[in-house]
Amino acid sequence: MAALSIAPKSKDDARIARQLNRHARRVEATPPGVCPLVAQLSLLRDGAAQTCGKCVPCRDGLPQLVALLERVAACEACEDDVARLRALAEMVRDTADCAIGYEAAEALLAGMDEFSAEYESHLLHGACRAGVGQSVPCETLCPAHVNAPAYIALVAEGDYAGAVNMVRKDNPFPTACALVCEHPCEERCRRLLVDAPVNIRGIKKYAVDQAPADTVPPAPRSVDTARTVAVIGGGPSGLTCAYFCALMGHRVTVFEAREQLGGMLRYGIPSYRFPRERLDEDIRGILGSGTITVRCGERIGAEELRDIVGTYHAVYVAVGAQAGKRLDIEGMDAAGVMSAVEMLGRIGDGDYPDFAGKKVVVVGGGNVAMDCARTSVRAGADEVSVVYRRRKEDMTALPAEVESAVAEGVEMVTLEAPVAIEADEAGRCAALVTQPQMIGAVRGGRPAPVPADKPQRRIEADVVLVAVGQDVECAPFEELGLSAARGRLDADEGLRAVWAAGDGEEAGVAVACGVAPAPAALRNVFVGGDCQTGPATAIRAIAAGKVAARNIDEFLGYHHKLRCEVRVPDPRPNDRAPKGRVEVAERPARERKRDFAGVELEMTREEVLQECGRCLRCDCFGPGSLEGGRVHYA
Amino acid sequence: MLGSGAMTNSIEDVTREADVIMLVGSNPEEAHPVIGMQIRAAAERGCRLIVVDPRDIGLAKRADIHLKLRPGTNVAFANCMVNVLLREGLVDEEFVRERTEGVEIMSATVRDYTPERVEDICGVDQRDLVAAAKMYGTAKAAAIVYCLGVTEHSTGTDGVMALSNIAMITGNLGRRGGGVNPLRGQNNVQGACDMGAGPDDLTGYQKVADPEALRRFERAWGVELPRERGLKATECFPAMLSGKVRGLFLFGEDPVRTDADTGHVIRALEALEFLVVDDLFLTETAAYADVVLPGCAYAEKEGTFTNTERRVQRVRKAVDAPGGARPDTEIFTEVMNRMGYEQPRLAPAEIMEEIAAVTPTYGGVSHARLDSRELGGRGLQWPCPNASHPGTPILHAREFSRGVGAFSTPSYRPSAELPDEDYPLMLTTGRILYQYNACAMTGRTEGLGEIAGGSFIELNDRDAKALGVADGDRVRVWSRRGSIETRARVSGKTNPGQTWMPFHFQDGNSNWLTIAALDRTSKTPEFKVCAVRVEKVG
Amino acid sequence: MPNITVNGSAVEVEEGSTILAAAQKLGVRIPTLCHLEDVSAAASCRVCVVDVEGVDHPVPACSTPVREGMAVTTDSPRAEACRRTALELVLADHGLDSTNYCFSCKKNGACELQDVCRELGVTGSSFEVERRREPVLDANPFLSYDPNLCIRCQRCVGACNAAARNHTLVAGKRGTRTTIEAPFGEGWRATDCESCGNCAQACPTGALTEKRRASYRSWETERVRTTCPHCGVGCQLDLVVKDGRIVDAEAADGPSNRGLLCVKGRSASFDFVGAPDRLTTPLVRNPATGKLEPAAWDEALDLVARRFAELRDEHGGEALAAFACSRSTNEDIYLFQKMARAAFHTNNVDCCARV
Repeated sequence: MAALSIAPKSKDDARIARQLNRHARRVEATPPGVCPLVAQLSLLRDGAAQTCGKCVPCRDGLPQLVALLERVAACEACEDDVARLRALAEMVRDTADCAIGYEAAEALLAGMDEFSAEYESHLLHGACRAGVGQSVPCETLCPAHVNAPAYIALVAEGDYAGAVNMVRKDNPFPTACALVCEHPCEERCRRLLVDAPVNIRGIKKYAVDQAPADTVPPAPRSVDTARTVAVIGGGPSGLTCAYFCALMGHRVTVFEAREQLGGMLRYGIPSYRFPRERLDEDIRGILGSGTITVRCGERIGAEELRDIVGTYHAVYVAVGAQAGKRLDIEGMDAAGVMSAVEMLGRIGDGDYPDFAGKKVVVVGGGNVAMDCARTSVRAGADEVSVVYRRRKEDMTALPAEVESAVAEGVEMVTLEAPVAIEADEAGRCAALVTQPQMIGAVRGGRPAPVPADKPQRRIEADVVLVAVGQDVECAPFEELGLSAARGRLDADEGLRAVWAAGDGEEAGVAVACGVAPAPAALRNVFVGGDCQTGPATAIRAIAAGKVAARNIDEFLGYHHKLRCEVRVPDPRPNDRAPKGRVEVAERPARERKRDFAGVELEMTREEVLQECGRCLRCDCFGPGSLEGGRVHYA
Repeated sequence: MLGSGAMTNSIEDVTREADVIMLVGSNPEEAHPVIGMQIRAAAERGCRLIVVDPRDIGLAKRADIHLKLRPGTNVAFANCMVNVLLREGLVDEEFVRERTEGVEIMSATVRDYTPERVEDICGVDQRDLVAAAKMYGTAKAAAIVYCLGVTEHSTGTDGVMALSNIAMITGNLGRRGGGVNPLRGQNNVQGACDMGAGPDDLTGYQKVADPEALRRFERAWGVELPRERGLKATECFPAMLSGKVRGLFLFGEDPVRTDADTGHVIRALEALEFLVVDDLFLTETAAYADVVLPGCAYAEKEGTFTNTERRVQRVRKAVDAPGGARPDTEIFTEVMNRMGYEQPRLAPAEIMEEIAAVTPTYGGVSHARLDSRELGGRGLQWPCPNASHPGTPILHAREFSRGVGAFSTPSYRPSAELPDEDYPLMLTTGRILYQYNACAMTGRTEGLGEIAGGSFIELNDRDAKALGVADGDRVRVWSRRGSIETRARVSGKTNPGQTWMPFHFQDGNSNWLTIAALDRTSKTPEFKVCAVRVEKVG
Repeated sequence: MPNITVNGSAVEVEEGSTILAAAQKLGVRIPTLCHLEDVSAAASCRVCVVDVEGVDHPVPACSTPVREGMAVTTDSPRAEACRRTALELVLADHGLDSTNYCFSCKKNGACELQDVCRELGVTGSSFEVERRREPVLDANPFLSYDPNLCIRCQRCVGACNAAARNHTLVAGKRGTRTTIEAPFGEGWRATDCESCGNCAQACPTGALTEKRRASYRSWETERVRTTCPHCGVGCQLDLVVKDGRIVDAEAADGPSNRGLLCVKGRSASFDFVGAPDRLTTPLVRNPATGKLEPAAWDEALDLVARRFAELRDEHGGEALAAFACSRSTNEDIYLFQKMARAAFHTNNVDCCARV
C-alpha cells in the first residue's frame, strides 16, 4: 500500500478556499435590480460546476437546465421550453444522488414559483418586468433612498453640513440614522467585491458629530399653500411626513399622545444607544423646516379622529406599534412582570427603574430584548439573563447588539421556552419556569424549536421583562372605517388608507351589511410606518413618511419639487487596493454599563477619510451613470 | 505427503477467505493473470500477502513481507518457517495429533534451520523470516500458493514437501482459505496428470506399481499391460541418446523449444529411429519428425479440461478443423487399431464415460452432467466419485487421501549448478503476461508481439554497471550448454548476481542455456537455476 | 430476512439485498444501464429508479438496500418518466451523430444503450445534443476508446479497479467534463495497462471497445462457451464465431474467472486456430530427399503403426515413448496414454507437466 502524505489531496484546496471567499462575496454583493432569472442561472451554473461527474441527473441534467434557462433568460424560449425546464428540474430534484444535484434543482424550482411573473414576462413580452435593472446598491437598498455616495464624498471633502443636508434631502433624521440605523444600505455595497462594505453609517455619524443637525439649516421651503395636514403620531414616520409637507409649504399639525416627540426613537431606544440630546438635534431640525404645530399629550380617539379627518385637508396616520405583546402563560400578573415597551417608555420620559440587587430575566431575542437587558444592567440589576426559545444564532437582534449585551454581563439562556411565572406569597415574581427546547425542522425559513425531552428549568427572577413583540392599537381607526388586517392598518402602495367599505358596489355591500361607508371626503387619509407594516426599523418608518408626504402633496393637487442645493463632488478613480473596514469603536463594556451615556465613540478624521476612500462611487461608475440607474424621489 | 499435485483448495476460498496468502515462487499476475487479479482483490480486502520470490514481481509491491530469497533455497526457507512455528508454539496440536504422523522426526530435521542460519542460505533478513512465520502461523486461515518457482528445481519435490509441512503443522489443511495450492502452468496439465499421462500413474493416480489397479485396467481394456517402470520425459532424452528409446510419439509437444538444454534435446531427437509428431503447426521439433500428423485445436473438438483447482470444465467445438486435419482421438484410435489393439471409435463424451468407469475420482463426471442446468456451467471438482456427488472444492477436509498426513523430512541441498568464476551469474527463467510458453498460440496474435515481442534478460543495476551494459543493450548470454543473444533490461528487479529471462521467445531462447539437471522424484529439470555469463555485444 | 413487496407481490430477500435483486428474484424486470453486478455499483444513470412507499422521491433500485416492509412500485408514471428523462440526458451526452453514427458503430446491435432506449421507447433526445469531435485513443493493439461515444457510466473504471484490480483506467477531468482516462493513447506502453480488455467488455456502448469488434456484427455471430486454452486457471469464455471462423472471445462468468479474462484469453485464444500455417495434411519424410512431403492419411497412419509395431516387437515396448500435450483435452490424453500402454505396450508415457 502506498505511503501516506500530510499534503492535501487536492493541492489547491487551501488556496481555493480564498478564491471561494471572493465568490461568496460576489454572490453577497449581487447588485439590486438583477433579473432574478439571471441570478438563478448563476446559481445553477454554480451547481453544474460543483457536480462530481458521477450521476446523470446532476452531471448531464444541470448543464441542460443551464442551457434551457439561458434561453428563458435571453427571452428566446417558448412555453414548451419552460415546461421542459420544470420537468427536467423535477427529475433532477427527485433523482440526483446528493445535495449538489437535488438542491440545485430545488432552488431552480423554488425560483420558478417565486419569480413566476418574471418568467412570464420573459416568455410573453420578451423582456424583464418593469423595475428590473441595476441601480446604485446603497441608495436603492436604503428604504428612504438616501444618496449615500454623495454624502460620503461630501464628508471626504470636509463638507459636513452639505453631507447632513444631502441626507436630509430624503431623510430628516440624519442623527438617528447615524446612530441607530440598521443600515441596509451596506448590505450589498459593491465594495464587498474588493474587501468589505463601506461603513456608511459610521461616515454619517462622523458628519453629524461634526455638524449637528440642528446647526445646519435645512433647504429653503416652498411658499405657503394654506393646505392643512394632520399627522397623528410624532415618531420618525410622522415627523418625516411633517418635515417634507412643511418644506412643500403645507401647514402641518402633529398630534402626539405622549409627552414628547420622537416615538420609539425616544420611548423604545435607550439613551445609551441614542442619547436624547442627539434625538433633539434631529427634532429641532425638523421643526425648523416650516409651519409645524406640535400638540403633545393628545391621545386621538375615534371621535377626535373623525373631527381631524373632517377638518384637515389630509391626514397621515403613523401611530406606530406601541402595545407590548403579552405571553400567554400563568403568572403574568405577578408584580415585577412588565412589558419591554412599558419599561422603555417610562425611561423615555426620564423615569429610570432601580433594579439594584435584583435578578432580571428578559424574555425574547430581538433588539428590544437586548435594549431591555442592557438597560437593566445599567439600572443596577445583580443578574440579567435573556431567555430565548431558539439558539443565539436565530436571534433577530443584530449580532453586534447581542455581543454588546454579553460583553456587559448579560447571560444568554437559549433554547428555553417560558411556561410559567412563579410568584411568592406576596404576589411578587419569584422565578421564570421554562421548558428546554431542541432546535428542529426549518419552517418559514427559520429552524423552529420543539420541546426537548428534558426537565423544566426554574430561573430565579425578581423582574421579568417581556420583549416578544409589539402590537398596533388599531381600534379607533377601525371604528372610523379604516381597514385592518392581522393587527395592522391597511394601505395601498402609495400609502392611501384602505377603507373597510371600499368604493362603489363594495360600498353598497358595506351598507347592506350595516357598516357605514366612508364619505368620499374622507379619502384623505394616509397610513404608514409601524402601524402599517408592523414593528420595523426607523428607516422604514422614515421612508413611509417621505412617501406619504409626496403622495399627500399630489393628493392636494401639487407637484412640489424640493431643492437640495448641495453640489455632489466629482468622483475620484476607485482605490482598488483591498483595505480593512473601519468600525465605530465603543466605550469599554465595564465602563459603559454603569451609565446611560452613549456607548459609541467618534471616528477620527483619519479613519473617516480612509473609509470614505473605499467608496466606489457607484453613482458615477457602472450603471449609476445610466438612465434608470438611480432611485430618486424627493 | 498429501498425495497428488493439485490445489487442495479452490481459487474462490483462497482468494476470498484466506487471512494470509503466502505466494512462493509464483507470479500469478503474469503466469495466471485472472488468479492474479483475484489475489490483488484479496490484498485489497485486507488479506495479508507474503511473497517469497527472488524477483520484485508485481505483487511484491502489495506484499506485507517480501522475502527476496536466493533462487534454489526454498527448502531452507520452508524448513526455517517450520522451525520458527515450532519455536513460537504456533502449532495446531490437535491437528498434528489426530491427523498426521512423523512430526517428531520432522521437528528434528528442521531444528538446524534456525533463522540465523537460513538468513545466510536464503540471503534474506532473519527478522523477516520470523515475521513471515508469525504472520502465517497466527492467521485464522493461511493459504500457500506456489508455482514453478518451487517445482522447477533439482530439489523441487523437496520444496513442495517442505511447504506442505508448514501447512500441516498449523492445521491449514481441509479448511477454507487454507491449503497448499500449486498453480498449474497449462490449461490441462492437471487433466493430463489425472488422465495417466505419466509413467507411474494410471488415471486418477492409480499406480502402475499397484497390481490390483493394473489388473482392473487390463480387465477394462482387455489387454495385458506393461509392468516395467516407465521413463519420465526428461529421462527419455538421455535414453534416446543411449539407444534405449528408439521410437517416440510426440503429441502437441515442442521440446526443442520448451525443454531445458536445447542442444541436448536436438541430439536426442536426432538419435531416434522413428519420430511421430501430432501438432497444429510445423514446429521446430516437427522438423526432426519422420511423420507429422495434423491434429485439431481445442476450438475444433468436444472435450474437457481440468484446471488447477481440479475443476473439470467443458471444451466445445466452435469451428471445423482446416483441410485434412483430424481429431486427435481419431488419430490415436486409428494407430491403435492398425497396431493390433481393437479400439472402438468413440465420441469424446463416450471417452469420458470410459474415463469415469475406470477412474474413481472422475466417477461422477460426464459431458451430459457438465452441460446440465443443474451445474450451471460450474464444472465438477474431483474427487467426484458418482453422478450424485457435488464434487470436492476442498481436499483433506476430514482425512487425507492416504489416511494420515505424513510429515516429510527434506533437507536443503544447493542447486545443481551454482555460479562460479567462469559463469558468475545465476539465471532464472519464467513467464511474462503477454506470451504463453513457446508462443505457438500467442505468437499468432500480432498485437501481443507488438506489446511484448522479443526476448530479454533482466540484469541487476550493479551487475550491469560492472559489465558495462546499459538498459536496452544487446548482450550475449553464455552457459556451459550454449549461448544466445538477447536484450538487457537493467533494473533492481533481481538481486545482484541474479538474472532472469522469459522462456517464450525464439530470438534468444533461454533453453539453450538451462540445465537438464533433474529433480530426483519428479524428474523436473532445474529451469529455475543455472549459471551464466553475460557480455555486451558489439 | 426482510419481507418486501414489489408491485404488490411479496418476496423475502436476504438482508442487505438491493431492490434490484429483490425484483430479479420475483422476475420483475427493472431496466438498468450503469449497473454491472460485482464490477460497478456507481448507481449513476437513474435508469433503474423505482418508487418506494413513504419516500418522497424515486430511488435507484440497483443501490438501495431493502428494508423490512418496503413497498416498491417499479412502473409508476413518475419513475418511468424519470427513466426516460435520464436516458434522454444520456443520449444527449452520447451524441448520436458524433464520430460514429449508430449504424456504423462497432457495437451496433450489441449496444446496451440501444437496447434500453428501445425498451423504454426513447428514440431521441429533446435536449441539446453534444457535438464533440475529440480524438479517439487507439494506439493499443487491442483496445480503443472513443470519448465522443462515452456516456461516463464508469463501468470500465469498475472493471479495471474493482474487478481486475489493476487501477490503471480511471475517470479524469471530473465534474461535467468527466471523461475516462483510458490508457490507450500514444503513451500506452508506459502505462500499467495489461490490455486485459475487461473494461471493453464492461462498456455498454461503443466507446471503449476491442478493436476486433470492427470485423463483425453481433447478429452475424454465434457464441460457443468453452474453456481458455492457456494457463491452468480454467477461465470460461465464449468464442464468437462468424462464418465458420472465430472472430472474438468474450469472458463468461465461470467459477474460477468470475467474468474476467486476461489479455491472452481474450485476445490470443483463437487467432492460432485459424492461422494460415496450420497443418492440413499429414507429412511423411521422403527417405530419398530427406524432406517432409504431403501424404495421404492412410499412408501416414499405416507407416506410423508399422514402424512403432516393428520397434515394439523388435526391442520391446520400452523402446517406445509417448509424450502428451498438456493443452489437449482429457479425452485426447486418456486415449493417448491408452494407446501408449495398450498398443505401444510401454509405460514411457508422459506429458509436459514438468516443463
